[in-house]
Amino acid sequence: RLIVWSESLYSCIEVGKALNSRNFSRLLHSCPFQCDRHKVILEAEDRYKSDLRKSLICNKKIVLTPYKKKRLSNES
Amino acid sequence: MFRDQRAWFCRSVGKDLQELWVAHGGVICNPREADFLFSCDASHPDTMRIYQSFDYMEDNATVFHAYYLSAVAKAVSKKTVPLGHYVLPPTCLQKEIRKKIGSFIWEQNNHVMTEKHDEV
Ligand SMILES: [Zn+2]
Repeated sequence: RLIVWSESLYSCIEVGKALNSRNFSRLLHSCPFQCDRHKVILEAEDRYKSDLRKSLICNKKIVLTPYKKKRLSNES
Repeated sequence: MFRDQRAWFCRSVGKDLQELWVAHGGVICNPREADFLFSCDASHPDTMRIYQSFDYMEDNATVFHAYYLSAVAKAVSKKTVPLGHYVLPPTCLQKEIRKKIGSFIWEQNNHVMTEKHDEV
Protein backbone atom coordinates (compact mmCIF):
# COMPACT_ATOMS: atom_id res chain seq x y z
CA ARG A 1 0.00 0.00 0.00
CA LEU A 2 1.72 3.11 -1.16
CA ILE A 3 -0.79 5.83 -0.61
CA VAL A 4 -3.08 5.69 2.38
CA TRP A 5 -6.10 7.64 3.38
CA SER A 6 -5.48 10.08 6.17
CA GLU A 7 -8.49 10.91 8.31
CA SER A 8 -6.89 13.97 9.79
CA LEU A 9 -5.85 15.49 6.48
CA TYR A 10 -8.87 14.30 4.49
CA SER A 11 -6.50 13.36 1.72
CA CYS A 12 -4.18 10.62 0.60
CA ILE A 13 -0.76 10.78 2.14
CA GLU A 14 2.33 9.15 0.80
CA VAL A 15 4.17 6.39 2.57
CA GLY A 16 7.08 4.19 1.66
CA LYS A 17 8.11 4.43 -1.95
CA ALA A 18 9.22 7.80 -3.23
CA LEU A 19 6.78 9.23 -5.72
CA ASN A 20 7.85 11.02 -8.86
CA SER A 21 6.49 12.08 -12.25
CA ARG A 22 7.13 8.62 -13.68
CA ASN A 23 5.34 6.43 -11.17
CA PHE A 24 2.72 8.75 -9.72
CA SER A 25 -0.08 8.20 -12.19
CA ARG A 26 0.17 4.41 -12.18
CA LEU A 27 0.51 4.23 -8.39
CA LEU A 28 -2.53 6.43 -7.95
CA HIS A 29 -4.54 4.28 -10.35
CA SER A 30 -3.70 1.22 -8.27
CA CYS A 31 -4.41 2.97 -4.98
CA PRO A 32 -7.62 1.72 -3.35
CA PHE A 33 -7.84 4.74 -1.04
CA GLN A 34 -7.98 7.68 -3.41
CA CYS A 35 -9.21 10.87 -1.82
CA ASP A 36 -11.92 12.90 -3.57
CA ARG A 37 -9.41 15.39 -4.92
CA HIS A 38 -7.33 12.74 -6.60
CA LYS A 39 -10.35 10.87 -7.87
CA VAL A 40 -11.60 14.00 -9.62
CA ILE A 41 -8.19 14.91 -11.05
CA LEU A 42 -7.52 11.34 -12.17
CA GLU A 43 -10.89 11.04 -13.92
CA ALA A 44 -10.37 14.32 -15.76
CA GLU A 45 -6.84 13.42 -16.81
CA ASP A 46 -7.89 9.94 -17.92
CA ARG A 47 -10.57 11.46 -20.12
CA TYR A 48 -8.07 13.91 -21.58
CA LYS A 49 -5.67 11.06 -22.31
CA SER A 50 -8.27 8.92 -24.04
CA ASP A 51 -9.35 11.93 -26.14
CA LEU A 52 -5.71 12.45 -27.07
CA ARG A 53 -5.43 8.81 -28.09
CA LYS A 54 -8.55 9.10 -30.23
CA SER A 55 -7.36 12.29 -31.91
CA LEU A 56 -4.04 10.66 -32.73
CA ILE A 57 -5.87 7.80 -34.39
CA CYS A 58 -8.13 10.26 -36.24
CA ASN A 59 -5.13 12.24 -37.48
CA LYS A 60 -3.69 9.07 -38.92
CA LYS A 61 -6.97 8.34 -40.66
CA ILE A 62 -7.17 11.84 -42.10
CA VAL A 63 -3.75 11.36 -43.63
CA LEU A 64 -4.80 8.03 -45.09
CA THR A 65 -8.27 8.92 -46.37
CA PRO A 66 -8.72 11.46 -49.15
CA TYR A 67 -11.23 13.91 -47.72
CA LYS A 68 -11.14 16.32 -50.63
CA LYS A 69 -14.03 14.40 -52.10
CA LYS A 70 -16.09 14.92 -48.97
CA ARG A 71 -15.45 18.66 -49.04
CA LEU A 72 -16.52 18.89 -52.65
CA SER A 73 -19.72 17.06 -51.98
CA ASN A 74 -20.47 19.36 -49.05
CA GLU A 75 -20.09 22.42 -51.24
CA SER A 76 -22.62 21.26 -53.81
CA MET B 1 17.12 16.56 0.10
CA PHE B 2 16.84 15.90 -3.65
CA ARG B 3 20.28 14.39 -3.99
CA ASP B 4 20.95 13.00 -7.50
CA GLN B 5 17.31 13.27 -8.50
CA ARG B 6 16.69 14.63 -11.96
CA ALA B 7 14.11 17.26 -12.76
CA TRP B 8 12.93 19.10 -15.82
CA PHE B 9 11.64 22.65 -15.46
CA CYS B 10 9.19 24.39 -17.73
CA ARG B 11 10.33 27.93 -18.55
CA SER B 12 7.34 29.15 -16.56
CA VAL B 13 9.17 28.16 -13.37
CA GLY B 14 11.08 30.99 -11.70
CA LYS B 15 14.86 30.82 -11.38
CA ASP B 16 14.58 30.83 -7.58
CA LEU B 17 12.70 27.52 -7.54
CA GLN B 18 15.15 25.94 -9.95
CA GLU B 19 18.05 27.15 -7.82
CA LEU B 20 16.34 25.65 -4.79
CA TRP B 21 16.29 22.28 -6.53
CA VAL B 22 19.99 22.47 -7.34
CA ALA B 23 20.86 23.76 -3.86
CA HIS B 24 19.28 20.63 -2.40
CA GLY B 25 21.38 18.33 -4.57
CA GLY B 26 18.99 17.95 -7.50
CA VAL B 27 20.06 17.87 -11.13
CA ILE B 28 18.31 19.67 -14.00
CA CYS B 29 17.91 17.75 -17.24
CA ASN B 30 15.72 17.31 -20.31
CA PRO B 31 12.10 16.09 -20.00
CA ARG B 32 12.80 12.59 -21.28
CA GLU B 33 15.42 11.80 -18.63
CA ALA B 34 13.76 13.59 -15.75
CA ASP B 35 12.25 11.87 -12.72
CA PHE B 36 10.28 15.02 -11.93
CA LEU B 37 8.47 17.38 -14.28
CA PHE B 38 7.86 20.81 -12.80
CA SER B 39 5.84 23.68 -14.18
CA CYS B 40 4.16 26.85 -12.91
CA ASP B 41 1.87 27.25 -15.91
CA ALA B 42 -0.06 24.43 -17.54
CA SER B 43 -0.69 26.55 -20.63
CA HIS B 44 2.99 27.27 -21.27
CA PRO B 45 4.11 25.69 -24.58
CA ASP B 46 6.86 23.72 -22.78
CA THR B 47 4.31 22.09 -20.50
CA MET B 48 1.73 21.68 -23.28
CA ARG B 49 4.31 19.56 -25.07
CA ILE B 50 4.37 17.20 -22.08
CA TYR B 51 0.58 16.92 -22.10
CA GLN B 52 0.71 15.94 -25.76
CA SER B 53 3.48 13.39 -25.35
CA PHE B 54 3.19 9.62 -25.45
CA ASP B 55 4.73 9.48 -21.97
CA TYR B 56 1.83 11.50 -20.61
CA MET B 57 -0.73 9.51 -22.55
CA GLU B 58 0.72 6.26 -21.21
CA ASP B 59 0.63 7.44 -17.57
CA ASN B 60 4.39 7.86 -17.46
CA ALA B 61 4.52 11.61 -16.97
CA THR B 62 2.77 13.56 -14.24
CA VAL B 63 3.43 17.29 -14.15
CA PHE B 64 3.76 18.81 -10.69
CA HIS B 65 3.44 22.45 -9.75
CA ALA B 66 6.86 23.80 -8.83
CA TYR B 67 5.42 25.40 -5.69
CA TYR B 68 5.96 21.95 -4.23
CA LEU B 69 9.62 22.95 -3.93
CA SER B 70 8.92 26.11 -1.99
CA ALA B 71 6.58 24.15 0.29
CA VAL B 72 9.33 21.60 0.92
CA ALA B 73 11.81 24.38 1.63
CA LYS B 74 9.43 25.78 4.25
CA ALA B 75 8.51 22.45 5.81
CA VAL B 76 10.50 20.82 8.59
CA SER B 77 10.56 17.51 6.77
CA LYS B 78 10.16 16.71 3.10
CA LYS B 79 7.75 13.95 4.14
CA THR B 80 5.24 16.42 5.54
CA VAL B 81 4.64 17.90 2.06
CA PRO B 82 2.54 15.54 -0.05
CA LEU B 83 3.85 15.71 -3.61
CA GLY B 84 0.54 14.26 -4.77
CA HIS B 85 -1.27 17.47 -3.90
CA TYR B 86 0.79 19.38 -6.42
CA VAL B 87 -0.42 17.57 -9.54
CA LEU B 88 -0.78 20.12 -12.32
CA PRO B 89 -3.46 19.02 -14.79
CA PRO B 90 -3.85 20.47 -18.30
CA THR B 91 -5.44 23.94 -18.37
CA CYS B 92 -8.55 22.75 -20.20
CA LEU B 93 -9.39 20.49 -17.22
CA GLN B 94 -8.68 22.90 -14.38
CA LYS B 95 -12.01 24.71 -14.49
CA GLU B 96 -14.15 21.60 -14.09
CA ILE B 97 -11.82 20.18 -11.43
CA ARG B 98 -12.01 23.44 -9.50
CA LYS B 99 -15.79 23.32 -9.73
CA LYS B 100 -15.84 19.91 -8.04
CA ILE B 101 -13.12 20.20 -5.43
CA GLY B 102 -12.33 23.88 -5.02
CA SER B 103 -9.10 25.66 -5.73
CA PHE B 104 -5.80 23.89 -6.14
CA ILE B 105 -3.24 23.85 -3.36
CA TRP B 106 -0.89 26.15 -5.25
CA GLU B 107 -3.69 28.69 -5.51
CA GLN B 108 -4.52 28.55 -1.82
CA ASN B 109 -1.19 28.87 -0.09
CA ASN B 110 1.02 31.85 0.23
CA HIS B 111 4.30 30.52 -0.91
CA VAL B 112 7.38 32.05 0.56
CA MET B 113 9.31 31.79 -2.65
CA THR B 114 6.65 33.50 -4.72
CA GLU B 115 6.52 36.43 -2.38
CA LYS B 116 10.18 36.94 -3.12
CA HIS B 117 9.60 36.63 -6.86
CA ASP B 118 10.77 39.59 -8.82
CA GLU B 119 8.37 39.68 -11.71
CA VAL B 120 9.99 41.97 -14.23
ZN1 LIG C 1 -5.37 12.13 -2.68
